[in-house]
Order: sequence, then structure tokens, then C-alpha cells
Amino acid sequence: MEADIKWLDDPETFRVNQLPAHSDHHYYGNYREWQTHASRFVQSLNGQWQFKFSANPQERPVDFYAVDYDTSAFDRIKVPSEIELSDYAQNNYINTLMPWEGKIYRRPAYALSADDAQEGSFSEGKDNTVGSYVRHFDLDPALRGKDIRICFEGVERSMYLWLNGHFIGYAEDSFTPSEFDLTPYIQDEDNVIAVRVYKHSTASWIEDQDMFRFSGIFRNVELKAAPVTHIEDLTIMPHVNDDFQTGTFNFAARLSGAAAGSVRILVHDADGNVVVDETLPTDEHIELNEIAVENLHLWDNHHPYLYQLLVEVRDADGRLVELVPYQFGFRRIEISANHVVLLNGHRLIINGVNRHEWDARGGRSITLTDMEDDIKTFKENNINAVRTCHYPDQIPWYYLCDRNGIYMMAENNLESHATWQKMGAIEPSYNVPGSVPQWKEVVVDRARTNYETFKNHPAILFWSLGNESFAGDNLVAMQQFYKQHDATRLVHYEGVCHTHNYQKQIPSLDPEQYLSKEGCKDYRPELSDVESWMYLPPHQVEEYLQNNPDKPFMECEYMHDMGNSDGGMGSYIKLLDKYPQYFGGFIWDFIDQALIVHDQISGQDVMRYGGDFDDRHSDYEFSGDGLMFADRTPKPAMQEVKYYYGLHK
Amino acid sequence: MAYTNKLKVIYGDGTLGLDGDGFDYIFSYEKGGLESLKIDNKEWLYRVPTPTFWRATTDNDRGSGFNLKAAQWLGADQFAKCVGIQLTVDQHHFAELPVAPITNQFDDQQTASQVEITYTFAILTVPSTKVTVTYLIDDQGQIKVTGHYYGHSDLPELPVFGIRMIMPTKATGFDYQGLSGETYPDRMAGGKPGQYHVDGLPVTKYLVPQEMGMHMRNQYLVIHRNSTQNNADQVNTNFDLRIAADQQPFNFSCLPYTAEELENATHIEELPLARRTVLVVAGAVRGVGGIDSWGSDVEPAYHIDSAQDIEFSFILNAHK
Repeated sequence: MEADIKWLDDPETFRVNQLPAHSDHHYYGNYREWQTHASRFVQSLNGQWQFKFSANPQERPVDFYAVDYDTSAFDRIKVPSEIELSDYAQNNYINTLMPWEGKIYRRPAYALSADDAQEGSFSEGKDNTVGSYVRHFDLDPALRGKDIRICFEGVERSMYLWLNGHFIGYAEDSFTPSEFDLTPYIQDEDNVIAVRVYKHSTASWIEDQDMFRFSGIFRNVELKAAPVTHIEDLTIMPHVNDDFQTGTFNFAARLSGAAAGSVRILVHDADGNVVVDETLPTDEHIELNEIAVENLHLWDNHHPYLYQLLVEVRDADGRLVELVPYQFGFRRIEISANHVVLLNGHRLIINGVNRHEWDARGGRSITLTDMEDDIKTFKENNINAVRTCHYPDQIPWYYLCDRNGIYMMAENNLESHATWQKMGAIEPSYNVPGSVPQWKEVVVDRARTNYETFKNHPAILFWSLGNESFAGDNLVAMQQFYKQHDATRLVHYEGVCHTHNYQKQIPSLDPEQYLSKEGCKDYRPELSDVESWMYLPPHQVEEYLQNNPDKPFMECEYMHDMGNSDGGMGSYIKLLDKYPQYFGGFIWDFIDQALIVHDQISGQDVMRYGGDFDDRHSDYEFSGDGLMFADRTPKPAMQEVKYYYGLHK
Repeated sequence: MAYTNKLKVIYGDGTLGLDGDGFDYIFSYEKGGLESLKIDNKEWLYRVPTPTFWRATTDNDRGSGFNLKAAQWLGADQFAKCVGIQLTVDQHHFAELPVAPITNQFDDQQTASQVEITYTFAILTVPSTKVTVTYLIDDQGQIKVTGHYYGHSDLPELPVFGIRMIMPTKATGFDYQGLSGETYPDRMAGGKPGQYHVDGLPVTKYLVPQEMGMHMRNQYLVIHRNSTQNNADQVNTNFDLRIAADQQPFNFSCLPYTAEELENATHIEELPLARRTVLVVAGAVRGVGGIDSWGSDVEPAYHIDSAQDIEFSFILNAHK
């Protein structure tokens, strides 16, 4: 198969030759590798790559992936990083409108009619900057002779991959891992890997998050070798019984290689006591069901109790060929008959924040230190929950939340507000994904990838379909995916509120403010287990709660912390004492999006926000809505959050 | 002469001087206020104190259009128009300000136990209203300052009402007894009562400079400086000004900038070099809000109603 640039224009082409999404488990050759976090099977490709920037697709070096292509004139760029932050392309912050607002007229393919393919929209887009990355590498000795995959943990926005001159595959979905099999073309030495990254494709319409618009390989790149027998995917399903003291352990795994041998499934509690110890013969699919566990230690914010799973894969001679560790927790989230959200049988209260991944120097290419600092800030300030707005985060963040008892709303990479929100009015005439058939699979795939990658994390209590993407049959398909695959979590989606008339539930709300003039199907019965709004004032939250709430209520965004803000928080918090159906919310947001720039005039390093790069159209200082300044020092309002979030810990 | 426990009163031709043990004050008839607040020979005023009404627009103010609704308070804040001065020395109220020839009857031995001087300001709003600032000086040199805003129902809500004092040099820091951190009427539940020290005059790093640094409900404030503009005084030792609550705890912000200077900057680095101390003692503080930044108003309980009179007081050069 050859790469086709027209895939950029086609919403139905979003993954080509990508391996199926799977659980985010690590795997090692033995116990010592696990303890030192140094797997023999992994080789990082982070570091300096050769790089050629092109202002648009027409100027790209077409054959750059050829083994004999002369890249001597290429620059160097650090992987991972944002292309814009190396000053190849203009920084631009924009909220709702598309980044080409006022520059290029576009409509999403098929949104206005079934035969409107919008050919060339992106493949010939004069704004579609291109990064061509090349790297030469030898395989580490430990990886040689094995099946080799490559994993890109995050690339904005559409990438084509070649190895040694051969086309390997294509991926979209900027914020989840994209994995490809390199085995057919890999060599021990002198490999040439080439990645072409386009800033825009049809994915741009559904990745219209309120943020600086970057592109590039901005998360880790790793080579991963498969052991002779390899656990490709594992599903841990801990179940808590009605007594909240006993439960069952359920386990399934998909294996490749599957040489003869055995798989030992071992579970320890935190004191090292063996809870499960079962051995199964190696097979392509193995599972353990209904293993009883007594004296359960439940996982929650106060006691993030984790059990240690160890999966030992052994060959026919009993030699360990792969060790998969995973920490998981027993916890149960449900909605009671009177519409109260319960965690482990107790009312759940979300003292949450929305968190964009942000680093004032690296943009969305953040470090483990950034993540650890953020967890520390959460713990110091009684923040017990995070919404991964509005895309999946780096994998280590989920592990940190597991270990620290941070409740997660794991959101899909989906936001399309430009297609239905016009200067505040609800105008969905060219909305995607909506119910446009050609936009269904791409969003269901995002739901699937989010689920498959992160399904084993106890911290995740809610899947979130996305942010501000209106509603339609395609959102319903995403919800159904989660419902079919995961009975252990709730599904959240806020945007559905724009299809339902709330005159009975929130009488003071003016329908013109949240419904479209043309009207549309009411999706509320089919979407979201919880009633979710953003920025609904306290008195209207109370109206909903007083009018026979049939779904528990939360604010997925509230307390907009732009500049000197966070006044009046008590009016929300006191509702928690009056209404059990109210379960809190996520403050908007955790950290200012601002970039450190050296100011020639003052000679100082200073913070810059939207519009400061001559970027137009921009939403200027709206990029800074955090409880934290962009340098990760807290705003004065943090003490107020700490106080109020401490009242219902 | 040896000081008694009375104020020495110097009847000038454009000012009234009041001296005592460790303090020398000059109240100007021309500049409309306390022109010199000298304590232990260190000057504490750069210009006369004025009523203050403006706060640098917050992001929430901009979003809700409050800055547009309240815009005329910006002019009223920038330009103070003193229209009257009333002077009472002990029991004697002067029907007109005592300058020559009226003062020819006095000598250099005049004293008093208490002096009260009230400045009346015509506020440059449409319609206009007035503010009085009254200084009541006791024989120890403690000054009770009272600000009074006369309500007018045809005016927009106020961003703030207070008295602004600009000091000649930048403070090295301040101590106060009140609440931790930056607090506002609708954001003070998390402020812990206590005694706090603040180093320097920090500017909160909001991306766009805006109202900042308010401290609600204080018992006292001590501002520390170590420099003056007096060329004959190059001794950089520390010296202090103490402000204390009168009947009620007082609110203040202590920054190197006026609201107008903050208003004019779109980034911190555009602010002028910090060289003075701007103290605002606020009788009424508007909340900051937080429901959203594109339309929602501050909750009604935290507005400042322009129709109501506002009066507050505090003690300047309070003794321990």
C-alpha cells in the first residue's frame, strides 16, 4: 500500500495499518527490570531527529522517506516537542473558532450534503503546515530478532509513517498512542524511519479544543519488541459485592506468539499477602472469572488502596519470558434509585478541576515532573478529581491518579464547537460529528481507543464522550460503545443539554440561550448517565435540583478562574449540603496556558498569551483561566478552593 | 519651645501645620488634603490622599461589561476636585479658612488638643456626587481618617470606594493582622486569620494586570520603608507607618501601582518601574465573581450600591 495525501480530506480514513488499541501495561523480561523500570524490550526514539518544515503540502519534500534521500539540508528538532515552539510556525491561541477563521473558507466534508466531499480541503490547504521527520537508528541488541512495533504516544494531528523506504501506516487522533508493526522491514542496523506530520486534516474539525494550536510529535516515541509470547492486551475486572467487603477478580488477556507454556496470574494485597495465584496454559485468549476475594480493601480518594497484579508468562521449560505488573483497585461506582452517585456505597462528591496538559516552555509537551507537581498541588488543596479536558493525557498521569486517589473523568479527544456554536448562538447547520454517517467511525474509534488504553485504571470513574460537540447519532454510538464494553463506570456528556427543553426543570433558563432555533431531536434519553452543565449559575443549579431531578447533577466546568476570579464559590458548595443529587464539579481550569518568552525590551523572561504572536484571529488572554499561573505557582484564589474543597473531603 | 502634650498649631497662609513629638503634618488648603505626613522626620506622602473609585478591570469585569457600565468612575478616580475645606481647632470652627490677615492674631505658640479638618470633593461623575475626607488629629498625632461617600441613585455601581495614599518611595514590605492571601468579599472564606508579613510589594502575576492584592478585614497594617526622596537624608535605615482599625476592621491593598497604571498595561512587563507605594484603604470592596468570564455578574450581595452612603474610618500613624 502507498500513502495517499487525500486521506487528509477524508473523515472515513483515520487509521491505516495501525495496530489495535490495547491496555497501557508495561512489560519486562524479569523482576529486576520491573524494579528498575528498565525493560529490555523497549528502545526510546526520543531525542534529535532530522527535520524539514514546509509551509504547506505543496512544498513538502515528497520523497523524503526514501532511503537514499539526501537529508543533509534538514534541520534538527527535539522529539518530543511542538513545531511552533521551535519557531518554524506561528503560535496561535484560539478558543471556539477554527484556526483558519477569516483566512480560508471551509466546511466539514459531508456535513452539508452527502456528496460534498470537500476534496483538497486539507491536502491542498495553504495553511496546512508540514513537518517531515527523519531518524536513522540501529536496533538495540536486546530487541533484535523479535517482532518490533513503534508507538507514537502523541502526534498532532495526522501522521504518515515510513520505514526503510516502505510505507507503514497512517494515524489521526492526536492524543492517544498510535502503534504500528515494523517487523516486515526492520533491520538490525541502519534503519531510516520517516514521519510526515500535517497540522490539519478532517480531524481538525473534531480537535477544536480551546488551546494554543500546535503540531508535531509532542509525546514519546518508542520501539517495543515483543517477547516470544506476549500479552498484547489485558483486562482487569475487579468486582465489589453488595456487602462492600468481598468481591471477585476477573481477568482476560489476549496473547501473541503463544508458544507453548504457561501464564501465572498472581495478585498481592498491599502487605504482600497472596490474594490470587492461578496458572493457565498459554493460549491466544485466556481468562479467569469470579475468583473470590475476601476482606476487600476498597480504593478511594482517602485510601487509594491498590492490589498488585503480576502476570508471569513462561515458556515450555518454565523460563520467564515476560512479566506484566499492573496495580488495580476494587471500587464500585453507581447511581442509586434516588439519583445519587455512589462510590463504594457512599455519596460521591467531586472536588474537581479541568486540566489541560501545559508547560510554559514546552506547550503540551509536558514532563513527568510537571505531572508529579500537579498531583502534589491537588493533594495540598483538597482537589480530588480531574477531567482530562478535552483529550486523553499522557499515560503516566493515569497511573499517578491511581496511586493518589484522584478520581478521573477520562475524556475522549473530541471537541467541535466551531461547527455549531456561532458567537454564542446554537447554530448546528454544519455540525460534525452530529449524525453525519461519514463521521461515525472516526469518533467511535476515539471512544474505543480511550477505553482500550485506559480501561484498567481504577481512578477512572467516568468516561466522557468529549467536550462541546453538540449531539447526534454518532455521539450515541460512542455512548453505546462504552455501555457495551464497560459496566463498571458511568458515561458523561454535557453537550446533549442543547437538544433538550428544560422549561420544567430549569424554568428561569431562556431556551434561546441553549437551544437552536431550528430545533432538533432530544438526545437526553440516550446520552449521558448524569446531568452535566457548564457555568450554570448556582440559582439555576438549584432549580434543577428542586424539580425532581431524574439524573444526578454536576458541573463539568464551573468557577471560571480567568485572572482574579473564583468569587462566590460558596454558593455552589452549599448546594452539596442541601441536595444529595448534586455531586460537585470541575473548576475551569487548573493552569493558565501562557508561554514564557524572552522580552527584548525589558530583558526579562515574561509570560505571553493569545494574540501576543501577532496571531489573528485570537481569543487573547482567554488562554489563562487557571488556578495556577503558567509557571505552576498558585494564584491567590487557591486558598479559597482549598477551603471549600476541604468541606466535603 | 518644649513640647507639651498638646499639638503645636502653625497657622500658615496656604497650609495648616501640626507638630508634636515625632510627627510633623501639613494640611494644604491649595492641594486639597494632607500634604505632608512626616513621622520621625521621614515623609510618607508623595501627593495628597484622594478618594478612589476605580479598580483595574478584572477579566470577569471585562467579560460582564462592568468596566463599560462603571467607566465614569475611572475619570472620577483619576481627577480629584476639592471644593471645600472645613477646619475646627479644639472647639473653634473657622467660618473661613484662617489665612492672613485672619491669622495675624496668632503667634508661634499656638496649641490645641484636637484638630479636625474636612476636605469635600465634588466627584466628576454625571450626575455629580460628593465625598468628604475628614482628618481628626489628637494630641498624640494619631489621625482618624474618615471617608464618606454620598449616595446617588443615578450613578453606576462603584468598583471600589476608598482613600488612596501614594508614598514617595517603594516600601520594603508590610505586616498586617487580617486574613491570609489576597481576599475579596466573595472570596475570603479560605483566608486564615493571623499576622502576616509580606516582603516587598508583590504584583500578582495575572496575565493581564488587573485589580489585585486586596486584603479584607484587618486590625492593623505596618508599612516598612528604608528610603526617602530627601537628598539630605541618605540614611537607609528602616522606618514604619502604622495604620490601625478604628471602629471596624479595615480593607487595604498595598501595591507599587495605581489602578490606572494597572489598567493601562496588557502585560506585567509593561508596567512602569516600581518606585512608589500605593496604599488604598477601602471602605467598600466589590467582589470578583467567578461564575463565568463572559457575562455573569458578581453575586448581588457583593456589589457596591451607588445609591447608599458609605462611611468608613481608620487610624493613620496609630500608636501601639
